[in-house]
Amino acid sequence: MRVLLVEDDELIGCGVEAGLRQAGFTVDWACDGHKASLALDTTRYALIVLDLGLPRVSGMELLKRLRDAGNDVPVLVLTAKGSVIERVGGLEAGADDYLGKPFDLTELIARCRALLRRAQGRSIDLIRYQNLTVNPAAQTVEIDETRVSLTSREWAILLQLLTHLGIPQSRSQLEESLYGWQEEIESNAIEVHVSNLRKKLGAGLIKTVRNIGYVMEKP
Amino acid sequence: MMGPSIRRRLVLLVLASIALVWGIALVSSYRQASREIGEWEEARLAELAQILALLDSTSLSTLANARIDVREEEKGGEPGASLLDDDDTLPRDALFQVRAANGEVLAGSPQLRALAAWDLPLPAASGAQDIVLGGQLYHSFTLRDTTLGHSVRVFEPANTRSDLVSGVASRIARPTLIALPVLALLVWVSIGFSLAPLKILSVAIRSRDINRMEPVGIGRTPIEVRPLVDAINQMLSRLHHSLERERAFTADAAHELKTPLAAIKVQAQVALAEPDVGLQRLAMQRVVQGVDRSARLAEQLLLLARLDAQEKLPTEPLKPATIARNTLLANLRNAQQKHINVMLTGDALAEIDAEPVLIGILLDNLLDNAIKYGRAGGTVEVAVQHADERVQVCVRDDGPGVAPDDLARLTNRFFRAPGNQATGSGLGLSIVARIAGHFGASLQLGVGIGERGLAVKVSFPAYGAAHRSMMH
Repeated sequence: MRVLLVEDDELIGCGVEAGLRQAGFTVDWACDGHKASLALDTTRYALIVLDLGLPRVSGMELLKRLRDAGNDVPVLVLTAKGSVIERVGGLEAGADDYLGKPFDLTELIARCRALLRRAQGRSIDLIRYQNLTVNPAAQTVEIDETRVSLTSREWAILLQLLTHLGIPQSRSQLEESLYGWQEEIESNAIEVHVSNLRKKLGAGLIKTVRNIGYVMEKP
Repeated sequence: MMGPSIRRRLVLLVLASIALVWGIALVSSYRQASREIGEWEEARLAELAQILALLDSTSLSTLANARIDVREEEKGGEPGASLLDDDDTLPRDALFQVRAANGEVLAGSPQLRALAAWDLPLPAASGAQDIVLGGQLYHSFTLRDTTLGHSVRVFEPANTRSDLVSGVASRIARPTLIALPVLALLVWVSIGFSLAPLKILSVAIRSRDINRMEPVGIGRTPIEVRPLVDAINQMLSRLHHSLERERAFTADAAHELKTPLAAIKVQAQVALAEPDVGLQRLAMQRVVQGVDRSARLAEQLLLLARLDAQEKLPTEPLKPATIARNTLLANLRNAQQKHINVMLTGDALAEIDAEPVLIGILLDNLLDNAIKYGRAGGTVEVAVQHADERVQVCVRDDGPGVAPDDLARLTNRFFRAPGNQATGSGLGLSIVARIAGHFGASLQLGVGIGERGLAVKVSFPAYGAAHRSMMH
């Protein structure tokens, strides 16, 4: 899951970035509205964590532009100004959720998960698929109630495919969800991770779509 | 003890003015009346003398032994009525003497003998004359050399005239004395009525909610009260603005404090959840950074609040170059970390009149900014110049500088130039501006070293100049 964090404060930014990484998200951190716009133009994100008090392009403006452009990515707004007017303004401008500073990192992560879940049309966190039980919050996968351990990359690919059932995901889409800006993309990595997943979870689980990528069929 | 009252004063002033004007009117009427009565009596005495001049000696001697009552003559023979409604109860016997051309007395009132006026020499010409007979003032009128060749002299006691005059005067004065208390009451009530808008205004102000700052309106305001209402409204509006500023400042301050607190919490939670010891340490170091930042912010807010209170601080002559050197040394580590070359140039002896701790804070803020926002590997220069009775302290860097549009907003509280990466509250320059203002220095922002970066010039009055301007 690739998340765009838009936060101008360095200490908060690197903290949230680290926290989201710990929770298994791939994080891109933009420190102003302008850089965030550029990132949004070039990358598809599963979620945006947006600070409203941004230099250059304000968070609210960014949000409006995003919604005007028809982008319905879930947005969680962070702001230090906790007034009701601001909260209502943020929500009406198209935010999906709201957190006031100082916030609790675990709450932020839980809310991010909830937003993603809702965006994927689920209301409980556990994803069940055939004989798999996947818990995104705990980052655990069970086959017939037996815990299988996955690397974070394998986990991310599985989650990406699970949340796009029936829609083939291209190699580049998977890479996008896997690597943040600072990370170097290893060649053939996707193929390696997919083959590992097949070994761990069963060969028939992930199908190859020739010349396109991979897909997990709808049940 | 009662305080001064406009109502009481107005009533007293109005009544005193009325009493004064009435008094003057009374005195002048009294005089007028007394003069007219005097003229009238003189005319009457002259008339009486003329009548006597026409009488023959038999009639004169008959008349001399009777009495001529002026009042009876005046009232046309109604003695009873005249006695009843006239205040003048004293007898008013007119006395006379008629003499022949050779000076022989033809007839005369016998009382004249008793008054030792029988042989009184006649004045040379006809006319009125006041004369004292037997200790009493008499008006007399002499008619000389009439057609019959007689001279007639008529005497009348003077009190008849003054009695009449005082009667007239008391008749004029009596309604006035009755009117005065009535007038006082009316004036008291009408002044109270006219002062009602003041009472309404005070009620409007007293019953006002302390948080309500809109202008006071009491309907149709009389022009005398309007300046007061306007002044109150102006004060309210000034108060409103200053309160708004305070509120905005408090809100901004709270907001600014929330940011480092949020950072501390996030970093602490990252440290708690991080299994990797190295990353955990890093997060904990950032927690410490966050605490430092909040502490500095709190210090700056306190300093601003203290400067806002505008207490007059004791000043002393001091050399900015010396303070700048100490500040440079304190900031040297930060500068070395960014490989910034720091220099101090200019007049080491120039003196200003200020408070050393505050000047230290001013220079520290400027230097801290210059190093923070300066270019890594660049230069920061502090220059002290003394010219035209001003001592200018200039801190320049060669960093990315500030966009011209943002220059003017740089000293606004909590303003941070867009796109800057360094940590800060946006309070530094507003503190500098406040301190500079406190010591009568002007602050000027411009372009830094080699058409790059930012230059902040603080121009103080030189020590001697400040001293001299204080003397004038």
